[in-house]
Amino acid sequence: MAPLTGKRVFSIMALCMMVGLLLLPIVIALPSPAIGEEAPAGDTAKKDGDKVEKGRDVYYKTEGIVVGAPAPKTTDGPKDYPRYNFESRVLIWFANQQHLYYGSFVLAVPIFCMIIEFMGVVTKDKALAKRYDQLAYDFIKISLTAYSLTAILGGILIFTFLTLYPAFFGYLSSIFRPVMHIYALMFVAESGTLYIYYYGWDKMKEGFLKWIHLSMSVVLNIIGTLLMFLANSWIGFMMSPAGVDEQGRYLGNIWHVIHTALWNPLNLHRILGNMAFGGGVVAAYAAYKFLAAKTDEDRAHYDWMGYIAMALGVAFLIPLPFAGYWLMREVYAYRQQMGITLMGGLLAWLFIIQATMIGILFLSSNYYLWQAMGRMRGAEKYQRYIKYLVFLLICGFLVFITPHTMVMTPAELKAMGGQQHPVLGNFGVMSAKNGGINVMITTTVLSFIWYMRGNKVSTVSWAKFGNIFMGVFFACAYINIIWLAIYGYYIPANVRVGLSVPQVATTLSCLFFMFALNSVMMRGAKQMGPIEWGKISVRSQYALIMLSTAFTWMMALMGYIRSSVRLFWHVNEIMRDNSPWAYTHTVGFAANMISFNVLFFWISILFVFWMGSLSAKKVPVEARAGIPGGVPQPAPAAGH
Amino acid sequence: MKALLMWVGALIGVAGILLLAGMILNVVPSSAVRLVEGYMPMQMLFELTCFVAGFAGLSYVMSAMGMPFPRFWQGIGFWAFILLYLKYRVYPPIPFSVRAMYGTVSLVAVFMWVSASEEDWKKFKQPIMNVLDAQTGMNKLLRYAYLVLLPILIGGFSYNAMMPKSEEPIELRTVHPAPPASTKVHGKTYTLQTSQNPYRVNQEGKYDQEYTNANIVEQGMGRLMKPNANPWDDKNQGYLKYVREGGEIFFQNCHFCHGDNLNGRGLHAFAFNPIPANFTDPGTIAQLQETFIFWRVSKGGIGLPNEGFPWASVMPPWEQHLTVDEIWKVILFEYWHTGYYPRTWD
Repeated sequence: MAPLTGKRVFSIMALCMMVGLLLLPIVIALPSPAIGEEAPAGDTAKKDGDKVEKGRDVYYKTEGIVVGAPAPKTTDGPKDYPRYNFESRVLIWFANQQHLYYGSFVLAVPIFCMIIEFMGVVTKDKALAKRYDQLAYDFIKISLTAYSLTAILGGILIFTFLTLYPAFFGYLSSIFRPVMHIYALMFVAESGTLYIYYYGWDKMKEGFLKWIHLSMSVVLNIIGTLLMFLANSWIGFMMSPAGVDEQGRYLGNIWHVIHTALWNPLNLHRILGNMAFGGGVVAAYAAYKFLAAKTDEDRAHYDWMGYIAMALGVAFLIPLPFAGYWLMREVYAYRQQMGITLMGGLLAWLFIIQATMIGILFLSSNYYLWQAMGRMRGAEKYQRYIKYLVFLLICGFLVFITPHTMVMTPAELKAMGGQQHPVLGNFGVMSAKNGGINVMITTTVLSFIWYMRGNKVSTVSWAKFGNIFMGVFFACAYINIIWLAIYGYYIPANVRVGLSVPQVATTLSCLFFMFALNSVMMRGAKQMGPIEWGKISVRSQYALIMLSTAFTWMMALMGYIRSSVRLFWHVNEIMRDNSPWAYTHTVGFAANMISFNVLFFWISILFVFWMGSLSAKKVPVEARAGIPGGVPQPAPAAGH
Repeated sequence: MKALLMWVGALIGVAGILLLAGMILNVVPSSAVRLVEGYMPMQMLFELTCFVAGFAGLSYVMSAMGMPFPRFWQGIGFWAFILLYLKYRVYPPIPFSVRAMYGTVSLVAVFMWVSASEEDWKKFKQPIMNVLDAQTGMNKLLRYAYLVLLPILIGGFSYNAMMPKSEEPIELRTVHPAPPASTKVHGKTYTLQTSQNPYRVNQEGKYDQEYTNANIVEQGMGRLMKPNANPWDDKNQGYLKYVREGGEIFFQNCHFCHGDNLNGRGLHAFAFNPIPANFTDPGTIAQLQETFIFWRVSKGGIGLPNEGFPWASVMPPWEQHLTVDEIWKVILFEYWHTGYYPRTWD
């Protein structure tokens, strides 16, 4: 057993402190429900004798003692809706979106750091381990600057709420009062943990201490995730309120208020979304640095960084549509009209735009992987088949983006002979779209597998059988997905919804089984040549930038859709929005606003990157040899 | 074997090109190769798959014969083929907005294909680089031609876009607006999320979704009644009896607009714009709860909510003409006749 050095003691103390910080809000929170449930009830009983007013939970249908005031009935005027000479909703939209972007980024990047740091710890190749560690450090450094900006934007958001929507914010705060201080304490815990994690990096870089440091990243991410869950409970409450009666009076059970119908699907969707977004942003950073790089070493480094970030982002992108599907299913189950407004009614066109963005994400990811095969010797054998993958992807994409209600002139409507097109109209419903997206995801998995075996030739004795098995498996997967999509038209809707399960299972089977089989087949494989990091076309880097821009655009779009589905309610069916802006914006206005938010975010994040680069230390060149695939070769001006 | 397959592919490719050329020149009608009802969407995808295989074969055969088709023209040609296919092959005509979407995606696909590998990308851009470099007299001439033609082309597009037009504006119509949580018909309030069609019952008169689902007509090539499930058999009780009664109401009131085949093409249908809803389309009643239809039938076009902009529906509020029972029965008939199941929740 190693002796207990000062550093060790310090590290263990720091870890304990983090755990303490993590537990602190929970400990403080413990009496809160009790306060919410019992103390006011006791007070009321004292005041009114034995009479206590009871209400019925609008969602859980349980009875509870009324302990809160009803939701305010606002009127259009300076009292409830003070304003500048500008649309208040647009201001709050902007503040909220920017805060969300940065919040997502600073929550996602530490998860990346945790994964990359872990990869560094378990990698046996020391040079590579060092590179992973450096990469994780670079990530957290960027995150640190962004963290300050997140806090500033959070402050701006609260001030905007207080200034422009005081009645609404007051009501929401009163409902969430039992956990408001926990929310604040979580921020303290997150900040403290982040700083210890960051500044302790160099002190805890070897052996046991490294494991302690890694544990800190776990604690950091638990705090961050809990923080996000709490924030999600606010929007969950606004969409699908619970824990209050019909008048919006709090019934004393804070868990009901938090655990609304849509809370869990929102939590999962946001975790995955944040991760995919974080990967996209870091990949774009790497792409920018690659394009601006002056030396082959820098190109190799940023090529590698972009690849890792993209791979992590796409790993979380693949399950994202399934999480979205679950969320939508829960929305339909919660309120049919909300689901129809989203996907069949007023906001359906935004969903077509969303489908287009999802398609762009998958197209960009595949394109990047095909380009990345160009830096491998031996991958040429796959490149001639890429056109067929393009065809599969595009067919899936076209089905996925086909609108059910088409935009057309009255003359076109007459020529078509009805509102629905007899051929393409069939692509406009969910059954076909499930097939489309699963074909796209399965094709992405296939591209990844081709990439993984690009420069390798399997040496296992059963390689031929393995290849045939994989080919047949993928063919069967495509047939099954397409067949189920067609079958969906012939069965009841509730069964059709359930068909998504075997479709998803097919896609995930391809993902897990084929990855596993491929890994086994490629163990000890003959290398046709090294991966020549840095020798990738510039088009691939533009694909990464496209990927991340599509992520940011889609995040803003989906945020807008999720928020505007409440229509004229601040809190759905509880608190009405009586401001002059309680209408749904046109698709064009929303698209412009989203684009503005995206543009602002990218400009500001460039500033963050620049700030991060001010304190950048040059990475020792000796470590470069550790990049998988060996020393980068001088790169010609590829792809011009 | 490979060569044989490629030859077959090449023949398909040539046949496809000739057929499409015939359709464009109006020598061959679009319906010469019928789009079969019930199979149309997959038929379209299958045809496109055949064409891709055919063109791959054609390219292979031409290369083998020492006459390789330049990659640049392959890309341009394939894109043009897709645009023409969508315009001249698929009928009824696809609205421009959808063709524009498909055309853009196809252009992206062509770009992804021709630039997937460095070698292909070089081949593709070579003719462009040749014209830009203008090393030969022909290329020099082409460069000058582009210099003149491109601005004219862009100018033409701009002019066309800016020129005031007298066409009717495009409408973004919400065909299925979100329903209210509840609706009041003949003095009774129905909660749309939970209400059920009271006539969806088995022979014993008990509510039975599975029984009724098992007795709807079969879809596919035409619609066929299930054996022993003929609503016009007087002996039937329960569901099938109510379907018959619903059918009588439908043919007395609804079929003038919605058509005797329930496809929205009734006697008066084309007097309206848009024409009435086509219940046989999988995007209409097949996507909706029965209570949604109940609400729409009861309240008609005049009862559409704000979200139903631009309220393009002339359907009368049938609650003024039919009883609640009659409305439920006619809905029952519509699902039976189209072979669709109403949307239900687990």
